Amino acid sequence: MDDGPVTQNTSGQIGSLGTGVGIVAKTNQDEYNQRPHYSIPGILHFIQHEWGRFETERTQWEVERAELQARIAFLQGERKGQENLKNDLIRRIKMLEYALKQERAKFHKLKYGTELNVADFKGTVYDDLTKDEFVDGDLSNSNVSWKQGRQLLRQYLQEIGYTDTVIDVRSSRVRNLLGLAPHLTESDEKKNTSLVNGEQSLNRVTDTQRRGAGKKPTNSAAENALRETEASVLATFDFLASENIDIEDDEEENLSDENGEERNMEDNKRIISQQKIIAKNNKTERMDDLMMEDAETEEVLSEFSFLGPESANGSREARSLGDIGEWEKSESDCEEEWGTSPQAISKMMEEFRRERNRKDTFQRPKRSALQAMLATLSNSSNEENRPSSVVPDNSPFTSSPSSMSQSQSGTGFSCDTPSGDSRFGEGLGLLANFDSLLGFGIPPEVNTNGVHGGNLTFGSGSRCPLLGSKCDDENMDTSLGLGELAGITVSNEAESCYDISASKEAFRKTWNAKYTLRSHFDGVRALAFHPEEPVLITASEDHTLKLWNLQKTVPAKKTASLDVEPIYTFRGHCGAVLCVTMSATGEQCFSGGLDSTIKCWNLPNSNIDPYDSYDPGVITSTLKGHSDAVWGLSVHSSKLHLLSCSADGTVRLWSPQVKASLLHTYYAEKDDGQPASVDFVRCDPAQMVAAYDSSNALIFDLETGKNVLRLDTINSSSVNPLSKQINRIVCHPTLPLVIAAYEDKNIRFFDITTGKMVHSMVAHLDAVTCLAIDPNGLYLLSGSHDCSIRLWNMDNKTCVQEITSHRKKFDESIYDVAFHPSKPYIASAGADALAKVFV
Amino acid sequence: MDSTLAVQQFIQQTIRKDPSNVDEILTPPEGQDEGVWKYEHLRQFCLELNGLAVKLQNECNPETCTQMTATEQWIFLCAAHKTPKECPAIDYTRHTLDGAACLLNSNKYFPSRVSIKESSVAKLGSVCRRVYRIFSHAYFHHRAIFDEFENDTFLCRRFTVFVTKYNLMPKDNLIVPILGDETSMNESEA
Repeated sequence: MDDGPVTQNTSGQIGSLGTGVGIVAKTNQDEYNQRPHYSIPGILHFIQHEWGRFETERTQWEVERAELQARIAFLQGERKGQENLKNDLIRRIKMLEYALKQERAKFHKLKYGTELNVADFKGTVYDDLTKDEFVDGDLSNSNVSWKQGRQLLRQYLQEIGYTDTVIDVRSSRVRNLLGLAPHLTESDEKKNTSLVNGEQSLNRVTDTQRRGAGKKPTNSAAENALRETEASVLATFDFLASENIDIEDDEEENLSDENGEERNMEDNKRIISQQKIIAKNNKTERMDDLMMEDAETEEVLSEFSFLGPESANGSREARSLGDIGEWEKSESDCEEEWGTSPQAISKMMEEFRRERNRKDTFQRPKRSALQAMLATLSNSSNEENRPSSVVPDNSPFTSSPSSMSQSQSGTGFSCDTPSGDSRFGEGLGLLANFDSLLGFGIPPEVNTNGVHGGNLTFGSGSRCPLLGSKCDDENMDTSLGLGELAGITVSNEAESCYDISASKEAFRKTWNAKYTLRSHFDGVRALAFHPEEPVLITASEDHTLKLWNLQKTVPAKKTASLDVEPIYTFRGHCGAVLCVTMSATGEQCFSGGLDSTIKCWNLPNSNIDPYDSYDPGVITSTLKGHSDAVWGLSVHSSKLHLLSCSADGTVRLWSPQVKASLLHTYYAEKDDGQPASVDFVRCDPAQMVAAYDSSNALIFDLETGKNVLRLDTINSSSVNPLSKQINRIVCHPTLPLVIAAYEDKNIRFFDITTGKMVHSMVAHLDAVTCLAIDPNGLYLLSGSHDCSIRLWNMDNKTCVQEITSHRKKFDESIYDVAFHPSKPYIASAGADALAKVFV
Repeated sequence: MDSTLAVQQFIQQTIRKDPSNVDEILTPPEGQDEGVWKYEHLRQFCLELNGLAVKLQNECNPETCTQMTATEQWIFLCAAHKTPKECPAIDYTRHTLDGAACLLNSNKYFPSRVSIKESSVAKLGSVCRRVYRIFSHAYFHHRAIFDEFENDTFLCRRFTVFVTKYNLMPKDNLIVPILGDETSMNESEA
């Protein structure tokens, strides 16, 4: 039943994807028309950027949608659960009250030798009739049950608020009929005495019916008006009767293996139900007789009595199968009456609960056992759903929040992804980026699964099927009348509530220090992440580089952060190592040092034993050419080309794998000073940008070595030329934008098509030393000697988060920051010989 | 100089001023906690020993130096492994430095660089003993490298004075005759 909306939503989502793409295309075209003066690559990059942005927004929407879907499913489930609970409670109330009445009547009879209901039925004309009947059939056993049945039925009518109507109808009808009463009561009695069991009575009923059919209508016109009301009343009778029988069956099932006391109770109930059936039939007969004169009423009655036996058999469905429009209508009417839960019912529910608490202690363990059983049931259904959740048709975006929150809640799942599925993989990549952008928390437990890239979406959608299956369970259980379902609903509710809030939390998540990398003896100058694995390299002033695997942690006491021990130490530089960068494949890394050399290293396996024997093959080559300290390195994203800048004033391009590795040397003018930082222009592979300590930044053509553009970096506001120095320059991954970190606490943004400054901001309290842009170009990370790292939203240039990270040494604090290219890690390296990784 | 790294800064500054002036380098400023002073010096020794290790990597290979020896008297077993084993000299050197880096940066033993527990100070002696073997191996087996390195850094001299001054190693173990006759006569004994 609840599966409907889910599938609908999925298809609706696909539709929205399509329109989303359409919008993107249109917007881009508009942009294109508006700015014809732009160069083709510029436009392409703009389009790329826009596309990226839309993609991200779309992902956000989809996540939101998934959340809302989960919410809807959860609310639906809740509603169903409530309904089931209500229905079940009503049934129980009926049953118990019935039993109670019977007991009281019995008790009363035994004690006083008189019927209890005599007093009850006083005050109405209808009661007079009852009294007559009672007097007539005093000794008959079946008479007792008949009366009890009548009392019960009356009680039912009162409960459902029919009392007034019924009594009105009754009184008027009885008044009319009383004139004919003598022979009526007689016939009644005759039937009553002949009634031994239900079947006989049923035969009787049909007899009466046949008899009635032969009679002519002699009724007044006023009675026609009452016909319909009566019909509905009768329908109610019928409904009630079957209801009670249903309950009997349920109870038998539920309580079958319980102690003798209960069995007695059950027997009682059975007796009661029998009595009730008899009573009902009696009633029917009586009614038959009453209406014998009324042909039209009798028509209705014939149907009723026809239904009688079926309802006595406890089959409700068969009854509803009958093509009796009016009856069905009235039936559903009265069902609706039940469903809307009048105040009386709620009151009785409370009473029932209290009573149950007092009396039915034996129900307690049963219920808990049932709940446990159902819990395991829901678990197993969860398990069953797991394989289907990995079906590639599931959009990873839709399901990501739920799956992530599931992993957060500690549910470990085996990650058997169809690795060949390209769409899935694509989604994963994007999602990973997206996650890293938005600061999605990916708990390390997920990573320990050892599956790369994709572990975010494992078990994707398992929450949605879970909800679905829950609904299925409910559907199944409704027929069983399991009121305990409400318990499940509640527990699931709590879970999904937690999940939703958790995923929301993930959206608002802030970066928290998770790993502390301590093993260097002196300041950590630079760090670089592996492109895929949770592995990074740090370069330190203690002449070494160290390789760290974040999955190999040492449990640390007291602190929330984990200590990591290095898995490899690269020794090769004679002097401080100043910069490090990793190739796009993650197989090599390059480091530049104070010893003017650049070393190329083969990255050892990330599971290497830290105390393995020395492998001279780790260091592959030394690039010599600079005559002074190498301060900056940048590796090309696709080619294995390396840019280095040195205090000797040159920028050099290397191809580390070939013998004549030096490809080009780029000289700036003398007053430009020494290059402090260098980067490839990411959106134009033929260019690079170098920043100098004179605060100049130049764009070079890599092939010709010519300076093609001089950025408008001269800052007239700073008087002190030293404070104008650029410490770091980075290129946006998609936009024609470079960002420079200044000694004068500023970060400035430049358009490299025009060379104009597009934005300037005071970003820190001290010199800004380092910058990093996330792989999608939406966030900027900066580090400063003010001991803090700050995360900036690239769109509106606002600070999203500030983290105080390192201590000062020689008035220097943070040397480098980095984003993991594919995982949600950021890291900072400090003068205090530590590196920290945030998640 | 109020930072937690003040002692390291002080030591590095005096070294930078004149690496040969061992006595000045090893003279603590007034009121300096001795534990921290020893700890920071040992860090600095290990740091600078990386330079010697880099030089040794080029010459000392497992084929020529299959065992960590100084004189023929002792074979040193590498303590970095679960069961100490006979690592080749270069591995011993690297493992010892890596192990020292881990120990001296251990959050358990040295959580602070401002104050150091007495129990942790006791660890410094064993680190000194092991680290000293790198000097002795270089001296007896790669004398050219040792001399080149020593001329630049005066590290072995500083180390010998340091451990002597703070009684971190028994004098018998100081087998490199760096301080002249005083220690050279102990050479055969070690």
